[in-house]
Amino acid sequence: MLILSLLWAVLGLLIGALANAAKLRPATWGRGGRLVMLGLGALVALLGGWLGTWMFGALFATATALWIAVLGVALLSRLITWCNAWLHSWSAVPIKT
Amino acid sequence: MDGHQLALPKEIDPGALAARPQRTWKLGQRVAQATLALLLCLGCFLSLFPWGRALTRSALLLPALLIASAPAPLVLTGDPVHFRRLTLSSASGPVFLDIYEPATPPPPIPGGREAIIDVPGAGDNRAVPQLVNLSQSLAREGVVVVNVGTPALFDYRVSARDGEAVVQAFEFLQHWPGVDRQRIGILAFSVGDLMACVGAGDPHIRDRVAFLAFLGGYVDVTSLLGTVGRRAQDVAGQTQPWQPIPTDLYVLARTVSSLLSSSDQQLLRKAFPLAATLAPPLSAQQQAQLSPDAAAYYHLLEGNEPGRVNRNLAALSPPMKALLTQLSPLSVLGQIRARIHLLHDRTDPSIPFTQAQEFAVALTRLHHPYDFAAYSIFSHVQVQSNLDLEQVLGDGSKLLGVLTSMLLVGS
Repeated sequence: MLILSLLWAVLGLLIGALANAAKLRPATWGRGGRLVMLGLGALVALLGGWLGTWMFGALFATATALWIAVLGVALLSRLITWCNAWLHSWSAVPIKT
Repeated sequence: MDGHQLALPKEIDPGALAARPQRTWKLGQRVAQATLALLLCLGCFLSLFPWGRALTRSALLLPALLIASAPAPLVLTGDPVHFRRLTLSSASGPVFLDIYEPATPPPPIPGGREAIIDVPGAGDNRAVPQLVNLSQSLAREGVVVVNVGTPALFDYRVSARDGEAVVQAFEFLQHWPGVDRQRIGILAFSVGDLMACVGAGDPHIRDRVAFLAFLGGYVDVTSLLGTVGRRAQDVAGQTQPWQPIPTDLYVLARTVSSLLSSSDQQLLRKAFPLAATLAPPLSAQQQAQLSPDAAAYYHLLEGNEPGRVNRNLAALSPPMKALLTQLSPLSVLGQIRARIHLLHDRTDPSIPFTQAQEFAVALTRLHHPYDFAAYSIFSHVQVQSNLDLEQVLGDGSKLLGVLTSMLLVGS
């Protein structure tokens, strides 16, 4: 499983790189955002691989890691940005005294 | 101003220069987006949809069959295999089972495992490397594989009573931990198709057999004897020479031996031994000692009277003819419910290709669902070594289709 996990992580890195090229990275992430996308891709692919192993068996885990990583980099990046903005707006509400 | 003078630079539009890299950058972005969309669809198809999972399985299994060993991706992603050998008792005698199963519990999706009952041909083939490789590769893919053997089959005899062994194995597998009782199929090789057909036609299990697949099987012993006697087969209206291998003649001689006297049996054993090469024919004096029934059968197997094949077939005794009918899968085809996959090599040296064609004709007549594929990568039931690229691509794609269909049951 160690080799498979490494494979999924590498696959996730590649998907993160593709997501950078596809400009899926939120503009607010700045320069370091590229690395965050790579890390996000690797992490989500790893989680997807493990989830696939548990749900369908190791034979289909790589395919599961693939689509979960693509969905992850496309949706999670936006979700993170949205949560960040929401937290900022929430903390910016003036407290009435 | 002559022609060699440099032309004055034209007025450059700064906007056009800036637009070119931007257009390239846009194209790269679109390509990346399209690649991601493609990977998303591919990943979803191969993991979420039964057809996709079956295709993944067959795509990993195909190289294992073609190179006769498990490829690295299958070893890496497949389950570890657990092997055990069991013996069941049935009305027709002991049933020997070699079980190859995944060592891990079945995943939640699709739930229960698929199981395949393998019926190898005549002889004890349990240790044949290609059969072991097939069984292990399937088990790595999450399929429980059971190789069935009987004393008669190990003794190179074909018996319709051995169909009971397949029924026993089927019922045994229905209660095997992790196996889904609706996902049990039967794969038979060579003369093992009789046992498979008789078993699959049994009223106790016939509605639950998921599929039947025959590689290098036969359908009618009488027409098989005709081909053996003529040493020729008719393919697409053309008569082609065809030579049986010594094992065929040995099996055909042994299978009917119970109907012959001991002296006839002895002479037939002498004429058709289990050897790598054909034995010399019996002398005229030895032939004269044979009963009329055995003599007609001898000439059919020896192939020394190709012009009298029909007469020799007609000369067989009624019990012999009844036995030949009983030994023909053709007699039980009407009782089978499962879809049948027919696979046969065009130059099969053991069971002539015409048997598969007759099988297909019989199934068409019965309106039975089936598919039939002719190959050139097999030598009877084993994959040939040193295949060229054209064979791998042509026959590989056909085999991939059959494997996907078989593995769809458990995907």
